[in-house]
Amino acid sequence: MLSGGADHSSSVYREKVTQAYLQAIHTIDDRVTPFLGKATTRVLVQGSARRLAETYPFLHFLEKMPYTDVSPSVVHEQLGGVVPAQLAAGLDALLQECFAGLKELTGNLIAPHLLEEVRRQLEQTP
Amino acid sequence: MQPQQKVTASAYRSLIGQNGDRLAALRQQMDFINTIGKRFVAAIDRFQVHRALLSTLQDLYHFSACSILLEEDPIELTFQLSIIPSHPLNQAFIAAMMESIARAAEVIDFPRVTADELALMAYLDAPDDLAWSDSATPSAVTGIGDFLNIPLTVENRIIGMLSLFDEREGVFDAELLQLTTMIADYAAVALENVRLRERERALWRDAEMERQRLVLIINSMAEGLLITNEEGAITSLNNSAQHLLFQARLPLEETSTPLRRLAAFNEAKWLTDLADIIDKALAGHIIMGHELVADASDEAVPLTLSISAAPLYDSRQSMQTRILGVVAVLNDITSHKQLEKLKDEFVSIVSHELRTPLTTIKGYTQHLIRRIERRLRGTSATLPANAVAELPESYDLRSLNIMQSQTDHLERLVNDLLDLSRVQWGELNLHYSSFYLADVLAESVRLAQISAEQHTIFLDIDTPDSKLVADKLRISQVVGNILDNAVKFSPQGKQVTVILKEQGKEFQVSISDRGIGVSPDFFDHIFERFYRVRNTASRQYSGIGMGLFIAKAIVEAHGGGIWLSSNPGTGSTFYFTLPKVPRTGMLPAV
Repeated sequence: MLSGGADHSSSVYREKVTQAYLQAIHTIDDRVTPFLGKATTRVLVQGSARRLAETYPFLHFLEKMPYTDVSPSVVHEQLGGVVPAQLAAGLDALLQECFAGLKELTGNLIAPHLLEEVRRQLEQTP
Repeated sequence: MQPQQKVTASAYRSLIGQNGDRLAALRQQMDFINTIGKRFVAAIDRFQVHRALLSTLQDLYHFSACSILLEEDPIELTFQLSIIPSHPLNQAFIAAMMESIARAAEVIDFPRVTADELALMAYLDAPDDLAWSDSATPSAVTGIGDFLNIPLTVENRIIGMLSLFDEREGVFDAELLQLTTMIADYAAVALENVRLRERERALWRDAEMERQRLVLIINSMAEGLLITNEEGAITSLNNSAQHLLFQARLPLEETSTPLRRLAAFNEAKWLTDLADIIDKALAGHIIMGHELVADASDEAVPLTLSISAAPLYDSRQSMQTRILGVVAVLNDITSHKQLEKLKDEFVSIVSHELRTPLTTIKGYTQHLIRRIERRLRGTSATLPANAVAELPESYDLRSLNIMQSQTDHLERLVNDLLDLSRVQWGELNLHYSSFYLADVLAESVRLAQISAEQHTIFLDIDTPDSKLVADKLRISQVVGNILDNAVKFSPQGKQVTVILKEQGKEFQVSISDRGIGVSPDFFDHIFERFYRVRNTASRQYSGIGMGLFIAKAIVEAHGGGIWLSSNPGTGSTFYFTLPKVPRTGMLPAV
């Protein structure tokens, strides 16, 4: 989902990818919380991370802490050893899982518009 | 100024109009929220919550069915699923609902549950007044057109999920989603309250059943059980205790009056003793098996109670220092006492019967000894000493001496058995006379020394005047019993020391040995009748455990005290005290 062209091998890229996806998750949080509440939104994201943790073990860290508390130092500490391509794939899968979950809850009331917004946001990431 | 004033007034009216609309809309919203709130607050069980939910949601949407999935037990991971249809549904539609609920439950991190499992646990809760108003035949539509799965949250915890389904597409509105979530929140709080109420009721029911079970057990007990408050007033008692207290004509209806006060106005003196026991327990002591004679009748064996009592501590305090009352167990041991009396009477009769032949045997033995001694004295003038020792008469004399010694031992045993019976029933009559305690000790030491060749018995009289008014024979018996033990339990010989001291108005006698000693564990029991210390060191010593019991009874009958200090392996010291003159109330027997 993220636009190409960056240096995929650099740690800068890793941080950029992480920040972009975390920003996307924050957007989901901002848009979904008013409708479904904080507890549901948190479970939506953390439940998605848990279900994907078998394929992408580095997503475990999102289960243990609220995604709103994730800071650059946490990203550096938790995701420092993850291959950038793997990281991008994992975070993208997380986003897809969140949207799939949202669709199971509210059908087409929120998910399509929000998905469009998040896609635009990620495409604008340098 | 005029045109400007006109504009301002117009703008003001417009503003009033806008605010008026806003206020009207706000009032309408508040009325709606108020109505919802009242519906849910009035619901006292989950079915009423379902009805409140259904009627509220039907104000917003037209839908085919709603369902509520609730976690029943977060530990056992069990669920409850209620389906509330707005009109009859066909099976395919219900199956599609189950699929949707199962998928959404996984999204909100509920433990995995399949559509089939949900179908098995589903409960169809169709309200009569709402569900069947449209049509009686199920709809032919099999697929879900639109749905909503809204988690039910209480204090940021998801407790379940509200689901809405309809056969048509695009029924649910994003504009109303926030309001739907709010209604779900109301429903969640109402359902949680119902759950807590049900749990509270279940706990009360369990507690009440447990209480009834305990009451049944307590009332079935043969032992009397009574409980007091911290003032010592009886707060509850079982049937057996009621029966026992009824005999004392205790006004049991006066539950707030302390037992001590009730006892003061009651003829049954044992109630005062019972009040003493309760007071001791209220002071933090545990009383075990205290015997009370609860009957003033002339029965050979009166009603006798064994009472145990313990303080009841406040369990809410971690240190458990506050005493809330006392629990006492009253055990009727009269039949036990009757049995004991029969046993003692039997022992007494047997002892008396043994005494007569024993006296005869003793007399004839002494007669034979004297005759042989006379004969040997005559022979010793003509024969050398070693030849005399080899004579058959000398062998006979040795045998007769052994017979006499054993007869003496048997006589002491029989006397002890007779004394035991007397002590047990308070028939130990003392014959007071004036004598010097030092003389009695000296004579007792002399006699003990004869049969204790390996021991050296010292006597230390540490008083210039040992004049005493007591039963001389009984005091000799006390000293003899303690000295016998001192010699018996120091088999390696060694030293035994008897010391007499004057202490104010009484004398204190101590008898120390260097024998096997007694562990402090046995101190409480060593003066009990038939008590024998059971350990490896004492196993080889004979005896039936009456000497110290009788010694204690004699000393206490004189108004004195008896105790010991000891260490295993280093020996024991037994002490007893005697008042120089009998105390008031201990009149000499006539």
